[in-house]
Amino acid sequence: MSEIYSPVSENELSDFVKQCFADQTSIEITGHSTKPIGRFIETSKILQLKKLDGIIEYFPEELYIKVKAGTSLKLVESELDKKNQELVFEPADLGHLYSGKSNPGSVGGAVACNLSGSRRFKVGALRDHILGIQGVNGKGEVIKSGGTVVKNVTGYDLSKLIAGSYGTLLALTEIVLKVHPKNEECQTLLINNINLEKALSFFLKSMQTSFEISGACFYPQNMSKFFKLNDLDTSTSITALRIEGPKISVTERINSLKNVFDEYKKNISILENYQSRIFWRDTSDLQFFNNSENIIVKIVLPPTYVNKFINKFENEDLKYVVDWAGNLIWCEVPKGDSVLLRQLRKQIIIFNGHMTIIKAPNHVRIREEFLTTVDENIKMLSLKVKESFDPKKILSPGKMYLEI
Amino acid sequence: MCALAMPVVDEVILNLKDKIVRDLKKFTNLNNVIFDFDEVTPYETDALSAYKQKPMVVVLPENTEEVSNILKYCNQNNIKVVPRGAGTGLSGGALPLKDCVLLGLSKFNKILEIDFDNRCVVTQPGVTNLSITKAVENNEFYYAPDPSSQIACSIGGNIAENSGGVHSLKYGTTTNNVLGVEIVLMDGTIMRLGGKKIESEGYDLLGLITGSEGLLGVVTEVTVKILKKPQSIKALLLGFQSVEAAGQTVSDIISAGIIPAGMEVMDKPLIKATNDYSKAGYPLNVEAILIVELDGTESEVNVLIEKVDDVAKKNDATYIRISKNDAERMRFWLGRKAAFPAIGEMSPDYICMDGTIPRKKLPEVLKEITKLSKKYGLRVANCFHAGDGNLHPLIMFDSNIKSELKKAEQFGADILKYCVKSGGVLTGEHGVGIEKRELMCEMFNDDDIQQQLNIKIAFDKNSLLNPGKVYPILHRCAESGKMHVHKGENKFKDIPRF
Repeated sequence: MSEIYSPVSENELSDFVKQCFADQTSIEITGHSTKPIGRFIETSKILQLKKLDGIIEYFPEELYIKVKAGTSLKLVESELDKKNQELVFEPADLGHLYSGKSNPGSVGGAVACNLSGSRRFKVGALRDHILGIQGVNGKGEVIKSGGTVVKNVTGYDLSKLIAGSYGTLLALTEIVLKVHPKNEECQTLLINNINLEKALSFFLKSMQTSFEISGACFYPQNMSKFFKLNDLDTSTSITALRIEGPKISVTERINSLKNVFDEYKKNISILENYQSRIFWRDTSDLQFFNNSENIIVKIVLPPTYVNKFINKFENEDLKYVVDWAGNLIWCEVPKGDSVLLRQLRKQIIIFNGHMTIIKAPNHVRIREEFLTTVDENIKMLSLKVKESFDPKKILSPGKMYLEI
Repeated sequence: MCALAMPVVDEVILNLKDKIVRDLKKFTNLNNVIFDFDEVTPYETDALSAYKQKPMVVVLPENTEEVSNILKYCNQNNIKVVPRGAGTGLSGGALPLKDCVLLGLSKFNKILEIDFDNRCVVTQPGVTNLSITKAVENNEFYYAPDPSSQIACSIGGNIAENSGGVHSLKYGTTTNNVLGVEIVLMDGTIMRLGGKKIESEGYDLLGLITGSEGLLGVVTEVTVKILKKPQSIKALLLGFQSVEAAGQTVSDIISAGIIPAGMEVMDKPLIKATNDYSKAGYPLNVEAILIVELDGTESEVNVLIEKVDDVAKKNDATYIRISKNDAERMRFWLGRKAAFPAIGEMSPDYICMDGTIPRKKLPEVLKEITKLSKKYGLRVANCFHAGDGNLHPLIMFDSNIKSELKKAEQFGADILKYCVKSGGVLTGEHGVGIEKRELMCEMFNDDDIQQQLNIKIAFDKNSLLNPGKVYPILHRCAESGKMHVHKGENKFKDIPRF
């Protein structure tokens, strides 16, 4: 078993890493240890950031919150809620996926994984909402970048680089996140019983309107059974389009949108505010794969290729849900089926997309590539970037690629 | 000629100029290599025109392969390269070096693909920001970042500077709107980061490149996302008897849960200057005006206009006008958009500063600027992207009066230091370049800067791409932010410095 260390201050953390740097001791960095994402690695020590917690400052009128990296996302979201604000990128609560119950983990963990919810295609990813970071690099030095303001081009934007780096560059200590006023109203236009191809064409059509769609997902038949919403018909496929904003405007846009798909009016229904919010929260939280024992992958590719891609696997009984207006496919692969996993990866490369393994048994995390990157030049540059932060490669080594 | 300390000129390279010119002609059309002393004059400065330096040679490649071959050659032969887009940058990021190859991207001027289905445009980097919107506006789409130089600035330059504009609060800056690039590293390596898909995996190298001021690579192709135009856009023109009231209104609008598409504050000197220049019809008996632009569906905009109107009244606005049509809305903006030429009419020279501050600090920072204006005996007018806290003080001076440029620069530096002290940053959208290089230590310590320099080395091991920009040279942050360079020499020259 690796030795677990949970520093209570940035100074302690810095001293710890300095010592590990001197001894060349490898460290796996975790937040609350809720998301076993990335290649399976074994390090001498585990650095948990959960005791570096607490909100440092929150200024609703300045639209930012500054927290210590180990602060729980739940706490942040409940503080923001008191001021009718939110993290607009809808950080996923992957506790449902990993353990069958809510456990969203820490802000630092969310940043390290750069996971964003259903609004992704409209408001950007988590990485678009980090204003500044501070953390300890592989030499034990405290490094900062960014600030608390939206417009800032002073020096390289390290916040973006750190988001999605899975703890391989810095042990985060402080994070400044942009916050956003909550939308007054949320409604969802549901179209039942259409196929994926049709759903994608509806996404396309609705994106060409000025109705500011903020969610667009497709549940094939049998994938939505977990929902327990009065007004949701889960007996067929579901295509869902979300509209948010001031109530009067939402109602107006939903009605206009309905007219766009008039020929399908028999299949159309509207999910009201309360149920809509549950629907999209559950979608972002991957409730459709709740506590799955299989391999869960995230596939990103240009929307125009999604249907062709899925068709390649029509004989495979692939379980999937499409989100982000056709930019994202969540997919379940039986845990023993390495062949299928590799076929998926092969096709994704052909379609200019990428696949990330989000959940898998440890033996799969050891054996299979976590990411898809094929360009050796990019891998080489990534390695150099890694070494610029962590010259002895002691921070979560091998988490992203075998050598990074 | 610039008085700033720049990287040491490599006399060996300068002596090899004829050979270098001959070699460069092998990589591209002969006419694309410009080396005559007079003919390189148009490239001697960017929009920070107080600093000038003719490059050794200018090369204007026509495709990615040429860029790659040129960079590889320069890397192998230890020749510095300064990349240049449209040359509209305000911080001297494209200022040439005496011994450099200036790599101009002006021939990369074609839009390659418009893909409405995937809502993106693939373009060469020399295409202007505005022409992307022009290319898609017939289908009611647009490209969101709109720096004031959008008619002339190139999209490649926008990537280098992470350009913003007046709509950044709601729509983000370049980094939030770019999907992919093709980039050539100093050693000639060509790579594609991102593309038409919405996001990439692995390290966010695209995010790192954006705003890196041409220090990490040369962008040869860009994919940006395009947005559907909002159904309705309206604006309010509000006048207040104090800057504090205007500032409070901005805070209250955001506290009311409204994110306007744009919010701009101008102070009294600027109101008068822009009104005289553009006849925008601004109220002149106020201390500050605030323009608030709202977009969305018709009914949404109407609801928001009403809410903003309420907030303005609560903050004792003495002038409230809501645009009745697009022509009137454009008139509200007319003066604001003419801010620079208006100041140009008032003063033979001016410099434009670019700090960002927390919105609530606006009155405090403006008071300090007034104090500094008296101290330096130079006039100043202020415009403020209030939505995102980006402040542009315009410092007026006369370059014919000896020492006024220096005084203006010191005044500007003091403003930026105060921005940092107030919780803000040195530059919101113009970049660090050479202009704010020596101020970096106001925000960053030695470790921070060394980390950034280490990243630079990861991309460009010999530090040949755009050297002398962004990061302070020849001193440590622990020392003072400025140093006196006399005859190219500084004190303690044997101390290792960056």
